Amino acid sequence: MKYDLYLVGVGGQGVLTIGDVITEAALRSGIPANFYPTKGMAQRGGFVKAQVRMGREMVGPQIPEKGADLAIATELSESLKAVRFLKPGGELVVFGHVWQPTAVMLDKAPYPGLEVVEEQATAAEVTLHYLDPAGVPEIDGRPVPANVYVLGAALGLTRLGKVLDPAAVEGLVVSRWKRGVEANRLAFRAGLEV
Amino acid sequence: MEPKILTGSEALALGALRAGVKVVTGYPGTPSTGAITSLLKMDLPGRHVEWSTNEKVAFEIAAGAAWAGQRAMCTMKMSGVNVAYDSLISIAYSGVNGGLVIYVADDPGVSAGMCEQDTRGFALMSDLPILEPATVAEAYDLVPIAFDLSEETGTPVFVRLVTALANSHAVVTVEEPLPPAVREPILERDIAKYTKAGSLICLNQHRDLIARLEKSAAILDRMGINRLRLAESAGGLGVVAAGVVNSYLEEGFEVAAEYGFDREAVSVLEVRASHPFPARQVRKLLAHCGAILVLEELEPYLEQGVIIEAHRAGFEGRIVGKLEGPLGRVGEYGLGQVVEGLADAFGFSIPPGLFQGSTGAETLAAARPITVCAGCPHRGTYLAINQALKKLRFKKDEVMVTGDIGCTILGMNPPFDTVWNEVSMGASISLAQGYFHGGVETPVIATIGDSTFFHGGISGLINAVQHQVPLTLIIMDNGWTAMTGMQVNPGTAGAFQSGGQQVDIAKIIPALGVEHFVEIDPFDLDGSAAAIQEALTLPGVKVVLARQECAIQSARYSKQTRFVRVDAEKCNLCKLCIIQTGCPAIDIGEDTIVIDPSLCDGCGLCAEVCNLDAIVKEPAL
Repeated sequence: MKYDLYLVGVGGQGVLTIGDVITEAALRSGIPANFYPTKGMAQRGGFVKAQVRMGREMVGPQIPEKGADLAIATELSESLKAVRFLKPGGELVVFGHVWQPTAVMLDKAPYPGLEVVEEQATAAEVTLHYLDPAGVPEIDGRPVPANVYVLGAALGLTRLGKVLDPAAVEGLVVSRWKRGVEANRLAFRAGLEV
Repeated sequence: MEPKILTGSEALALGALRAGVKVVTGYPGTPSTGAITSLLKMDLPGRHVEWSTNEKVAFEIAAGAAWAGQRAMCTMKMSGVNVAYDSLISIAYSGVNGGLVIYVADDPGVSAGMCEQDTRGFALMSDLPILEPATVAEAYDLVPIAFDLSEETGTPVFVRLVTALANSHAVVTVEEPLPPAVREPILERDIAKYTKAGSLICLNQHRDLIARLEKSAAILDRMGINRLRLAESAGGLGVVAAGVVNSYLEEGFEVAAEYGFDREAVSVLEVRASHPFPARQVRKLLAHCGAILVLEELEPYLEQGVIIEAHRAGFEGRIVGKLEGPLGRVGEYGLGQVVEGLADAFGFSIPPGLFQGSTGAETLAAARPITVCAGCPHRGTYLAINQALKKLRFKKDEVMVTGDIGCTILGMNPPFDTVWNEVSMGASISLAQGYFHGGVETPVIATIGDSTFFHGGISGLINAVQHQVPLTLIIMDNGWTAMTGMQVNPGTAGAFQSGGQQVDIAKIIPALGVEHFVEIDPFDLDGSAAAIQEALTLPGVKVVLARQECAIQSARYSKQTRFVRVDAEKCNLCKLCIIQTGCPAIDIGEDTIVIDPSLCDGCGLCAEVCNLDAIVKEPAL
């Protein structure tokens, strides 16, 4: 099955990790995959995107515009940058975290609201799955990793969950980091059950 | 044999190990950096791997090792070829004994800054073969072939990846690395080969170089590196695709088939070695096909070669590409260009906007200019420069502040707007001299980072001292080559030098004869601004060395020594700290600003700019 995934977010949110885990899960289940992350220059706070192309033996790294089956955004405004890459009928998962650029904090630049994302998703004929950041559970008084929560939600809400086995992805997530096993499991399952 | 998930750069590095490479050198440059980074993490007895001072030095070390008969590789981004090229063309003339491979990562589409230059042009100019893998797995497979070719012909060989391959992760079947061959070093004294002393020597070397390229062409042709698949029936379309573009062909044919394209009738030449030009295979393709489509990113080198062969063969069909056809020389190629080319060459039409989503959504996204990290010492230096200029009653548009490559260039962006320009490694210091000689009467400031200073800046400073040009050079020394992901450079602390030694900028500057030299702590804003202000009023060459370790590295290796907290009673939410510092760790809370402790490194610059004492610096317990 051919399935193309476009990821966007802000550096430091762990958006590339989502792509990395999905790629590994695909390859382990015998689906050929190419993962192409693009980092900005600054280490934190810059635009980050990644592309995962699954299901072709030989595949060009770039997803064409109007080509992605699914886009996952870990930041509200950045989700708008993924819209043109989605095919009509595609799905857009938006984690509603707001990371304001300085100019926005100083009221010198506008920041789009959720209704803007909804309008643009409708115009592009894609299904929007909005994730409220308040839904991220806590463990020992600290929020669990939001990127793992988003990954779980993407598997639970979209056709990605038919391409990859969520249980296998969970296995990868909990074995990936020695620390925070319980927090990652909780994050993943909470996302999956959204 | 073991399947591994690797990036293109990592696959290439493992390919070099598989080929028994003994010496690997390079200078960091996105997207080539990953090759040496991955090798430095391994235990590699009998091999030498290093980050060199610049690409020219790196290339010369690799070339010396190859002259001594060993297998050597040198890595760089495309801009680095400009730096190494003086030696590269000379070594190309002389030829090599051991295999010498130059890994260059080009950046069509410019995801990492700098020019869209096409390294295939350098291969043409220096008569060197160039291999272009189409996939990550091929990056692994083609490097041993490049070494064999280099040794069989005695010529250096380029291996070229583009960003989309160098940074892509994919499965590669990796075999056991081969230890470097045990070879007695060659010590050969032969001035006809190893010098350029006189026209006879140089002309003979030029002849030999051309002969080696012809030999390479014959070997590559015999090996079938460029794969030709002719359709059963003649007269159809022939597609010539270079490197990564090949990875989009199948998908392109599938899409085109929906619009009446006959994929059974298409012949394909998949080019993985564009230079020497695969003339024999192109002639076969021309003889079999009625029209040709050439798909290559950036410059039309293959297309020009096809046109020449077509002319020789009296080919009368169309040759579609960039010179005649819809394709462009700018940006990356993908499925869109493949299908657009097929449509033009085969004569079918595709719906307008087939691969063009509406950009409407993107224009509504909040602009996110790149800025320096929370805790970055460069923030303090930009603020200090701005403060010094203000105290001297200069307007910002009256004082030239030249910029340079690396994180230091981020001073061009808001909220600092300090730096004016960016050219190439080290150019800031010489450009500043040009502005002075060009008649600029206000002070001239040059800014540069530590690694860039060692790489290409120091010669500009020597020139300024020799000619006594009044300028203020601010070296922003954070101890690391940071923007490319924290590589060691000559100025990095000795503990990280793997047995090597730190070269201290603070000892170099006075030794060059700089009379006014001062070291500042960029987290001490007032002290730094005063030091810069003084320098700007003095005659001659002034050097200010701003020293603090890169925030990312100090967070990794040192305990945080300071915290900052907001005094809620005093903060009136004037936002001055945000306006001045633009620090990503500061956010707006209910009645006060809030500082995110997970981002904050305790640099205290927000406390320095606050004029209500509402941000308090406290030592860590």
